Amino acid sequence: MPNVVTCRGLGRTFETDAVPVHALRGVDFDLAEGEWVSLAGPSGSGKSTLLHLIGGLDRPTSGDVAVDGVDLATLSNAALSDLRLRKIGFVFQAYNLVPVLSAVENVEFILQLQGVGRGERRRRAMRSLDALGLADAAGRRPGELSGGQQQRVAIARAIVTEPVLLLADEPTANLDTGTTEELLDVLRDLNQQRGVTILTATHDPTVMGYTTRRVHLRDGGIAP
Amino acid sequence: MPAASAPPRRLPVALLAQLAWRNLGRHRRRNAMLLGAIALAVAGVVLLNAMLRGMEGEVRAVVLDNLTGHVKVHAPGYLADPGIERGFDLPADWPAGLPAAATLGWAARLRVPAVLMSERETRGAELVGVDPGREGISFLGRVQVVGEALTGSQDRRLLLGRALAEHLQTEVGRRVVVVTQGADGRALEVGYRIAGVYESDFAGLEKVFVFTGAAALQRALGTTAVTEVSVRLADDAGPRQQTATAEALAAAFGGLDVYVWQELKPQAAAIVAMADFGVFIYFAVVMGALVFGLVNAMATAVMERVREMGMLRAVGMRPGAVVAQVMIECSLVMALGVALGLAVAFAAFVPFADGIDLRAFDLDKSVAQLGMRANFVPVLTAADVVLVGVLSLALGAAASLYPALRAVRIAPLVALSGGRGPLRAPRRKPRGT
Repeated sequence: MPNVVTCRGLGRTFETDAVPVHALRGVDFDLAEGEWVSLAGPSGSGKSTLLHLIGGLDRPTSGDVAVDGVDLATLSNAALSDLRLRKIGFVFQAYNLVPVLSAVENVEFILQLQGVGRGERRRRAMRSLDALGLADAAGRRPGELSGGQQQRVAIARAIVTEPVLLLADEPTANLDTGTTEELLDVLRDLNQQRGVTILTATHDPTVMGYTTRRVHLRDGGIAP
Repeated sequence: MPAASAPPRRLPVALLAQLAWRNLGRHRRRNAMLLGAIALAVAGVVLLNAMLRGMEGEVRAVVLDNLTGHVKVHAPGYLADPGIERGFDLPADWPAGLPAAATLGWAARLRVPAVLMSERETRGAELVGVDPGREGISFLGRVQVVGEALTGSQDRRLLLGRALAEHLQTEVGRRVVVVTQGADGRALEVGYRIAGVYESDFAGLEKVFVFTGAAALQRALGTTAVTEVSVRLADDAGPRQQTATAEALAAAFGGLDVYVWQELKPQAAAIVAMADFGVFIYFAVVMGALVFGLVNAMATAVMERVREMGMLRAVGMRPGAVVAQVMIECSLVMALGVALGLAVAFAAFVPFADGIDLRAFDLDKSVAQLGMRANFVPVLTAADVVLVGVLSLALGAAASLYPALRAVRIAPLVALSGGRGPLRAPRRKPRGT
């Protein structure tokens, strides 16, 4: 399987008022197409930083990242925005839905940013919601949905563009055990049946149990 | 290898407008207060403009009415020392050369200082020989007359102001003696019968101006001359037409002095200019103060939505679209406030559209000193309404820049870190830039 993500010698240092913080130190990491990998490790180990760099939300201090064969270092900020819009789906810990939009509008607006026509984007948004069992809640706003439903809307939003990579940062952190397992079932279906490549940052053992590979980070590097 | 630039992407205007509209309902009390403040400010500015325009129009109309007109011709030295010896004859081909398009009318007058004597009192005044048919351009064409008005240029009776008639203790049908200087330089005493007594809006006019037929006065003074030609332009005539008329008169009356009304009545011209300028001063003061509130409210709204803005950036919304979103939202608030304010202004204006009787507030004497009549008519012009609307919207757009730029500085990382992420810009630039 070809690599969707390739990282070589990846480093990220944050300047603080006191001392520089080396969040990542020369990380080499590959993610093959169709994999579901969990980045595990204690707080401050660098898993979120690695996720941000792979998602093009931050730029490394050293080393290179390539997503779907595109070296992110060669992209301008606007081109990086386009890459995030077309190739990467994001699922956030805090759902981050737009509260003034309904569930279907929250899914649809990504397609609107892509310039997809009205009828087509509504069809695709409904199909995504339906796949996650939320067709009946399409007209409800986030405030009218449970935490699990909101996170499923966020997943529908992330996959509606059919991205090559789904990045999920602590996607179950705000969910109870039952809802967590429901959500992980959804992600497993996406990975196994639709071939979506997933990278998850987590320290929840339940999540790690679902993934096809685990990568442990410690002190900014990959633990052997 | 140079950094790959992104192809231009169209702004998702429909999405941004939808978000802006829905966000209005997000903090209803705050937005309602903001809309109310904008509406009050806009209504206040529009109504103040209407008052200023009314004052400006009133002062101008009164000045133009008081035998001044827009443009006037006198012999050199007449203004400093008015008299029959500073008269002039109308050109043979007059009024050829006068631009017809913007001209409402013209009047040639013979105006001389005189002393009027009744059986009981004596008073100085200005005796003005007029052709009554041409005086539709001055207040004389609109005065109320007790008795009879002058019938023509040959009418050798007098039309007195009510205040002067009261001072002289005389009335319609009685005779007065007028003492003035003839064209030959000798003092002249002429008896006149009073045809009528006129009432104007200003007692000052009634005391100063005494009218008789122009041809009759010329005959009495032994002259064919007039001392002034006054030209009144149409109400919608602008400065260009006024200048063109002044140039035409200068050409027609070579060697004579031509004045525009602003030169003849500089105080009134200053009031008009101040009113013109005041419109902008009031706008700047009221709306300027309001902008601080708008900027503050929008900046607060943006900072309350840090996570949402960061998420929008994270999923691929370009910075320009984030700026546009805040600007559209701010402009929408301003547009709604302006619309509401204009509606309030119209509602408040309509009951006073026919005028405000300042006598009810005991202000008639005060405004008379400013050259205004007791019935004050505010003037709401489409141009002023459009000006306030457009300037307000432009101000709204300008005011949105600061919160918009704050919004665009929110790093996408903030969304992923739940609002606690680093806000600084990336340290390493794209390769090749």
